[in-house]
Amino acid sequence: MAIQTILVINKSGGLVYQRDFVPNAPRLSSNEYLILAGTLQGIVAIASQITPKSLQLAGKSSAKGGNEPMGSNSAPLVPYMGTLGATTASGAPLGSFLGPDYFNDAFASWNGRGLKHVTTEQNSLFVYHTLTGIKFVAVSTQPTTNAMAVAVAENLLRKTYCLYADYVMKNPFYEAEMPIKCELFDQHLGALVGQL
Amino acid sequence: MSASMSGVANASTGSKKSLKAFSDDIWKNKTAKINAELFTLTYGSIVSQLCTDFERDFAKVNNQLYLMGYNIGMRLIEDFLARTALPRCESLAKTSEVVSKCAFKIFLNVTPRVGNWSSSQDSFSLFLDENPLSDFVELPMDAAKELWYSNIICGVLKGALEMVQMDCDVYFTSDVLKGDQTTELRVKLNRILKDEIPAGED
Repeated sequence: MAIQTILVINKSGGLVYQRDFVPNAPRLSSNEYLILAGTLQGIVAIASQITPKSLQLAGKSSAKGGNEPMGSNSAPLVPYMGTLGATTASGAPLGSFLGPDYFNDAFASWNGRGLKHVTTEQNSLFVYHTLTGIKFVAVSTQPTTNAMAVAVAENLLRKTYCLYADYVMKNPFYEAEMPIKCELFDQHLGALVGQL
Repeated sequence: MSASMSGVANASTGSKKSLKAFSDDIWKNKTAKINAELFTLTYGSIVSQLCTDFERDFAKVNNQLYLMGYNIGMRLIEDFLARTALPRCESLAKTSEVVSKCAFKIFLNVTPRVGNWSSSQDSFSLFLDENPLSDFVELPMDAAKELWYSNIICGVLKGALEMVQMDCDVYFTSDVLKGDQTTELRVKLNRILKDEIPAGED
């Protein structure tokens, strides 16, 4: 699985970052990417509204059940991918994170009911969204419906989120919600995707 | 309380770790560190510079520190979430646990006590028994009445909680630097910003 594109969408649905990793892949114009980002934002919102009836009922009954811990919702735990993006070999520092990897626990997805994954005949698209409303989107060059691939993508995108927290949020010249033009973020994201 | 606390950590880590063990591990093994004195002294120089710039108008200094903290908090929340991937807190009790045991631990390596809950459970206090920001600090006579030396923390909490859709008031009610017995930080939840919760979340 190769990553073709990574997008970052801010909480109001605007595209703030887009980067292609496959040199001769078909390209959209930057305007079309903006439209794609806005559309995705809308689709995620719609998808979260159209839950199957059985799940709606199940959700209600568990809500009435009261003090179930939040684990009762269907947020899956994504297993730790040891090799993915680990920089043990290079020993390069991971920004404000201590190596060998950004995290080594399984984690719950914040995206419980929204759109997570789209497969087409040539590509698949993965969405990771954060508690603060930012969406990280990866487009891979292979169609896949494999749960493992979704887990891998979710790991990759959480690592992208870690890079975002380090190199975009800690850049004093970055203004919130504006397009990302941070060289270090570019570099590290390139390295992360390159290892895949 | 301990049962609900482990609920938070379990949902996020999938293991039997308590929130405390979870955040200790992140602080110890997953976070880069610098010398605390460097941080303390940098903060000290900011505060002293602000006092000079505002000609010792400490109300303005408090306000400026709060604003600076607010801007930090709005960004720092991303770092916190990327690091911990904790799920949304469904009660203020859980938020208080996460703030004291996890956030303060990871960024400042202290664990404030939580207490002094209001009867409606919408506000609590954080007691900072040790405050790394105010090491080596003794307030001058004119500042002792008005200046909240660590006011930046209030701003950080306000900004960070706002980004996870909790509209809170955060303020100091006492400070050992002013001769009080404890350093008490009050957090009051005004409302949850329901409209801004991103779609797709449960």
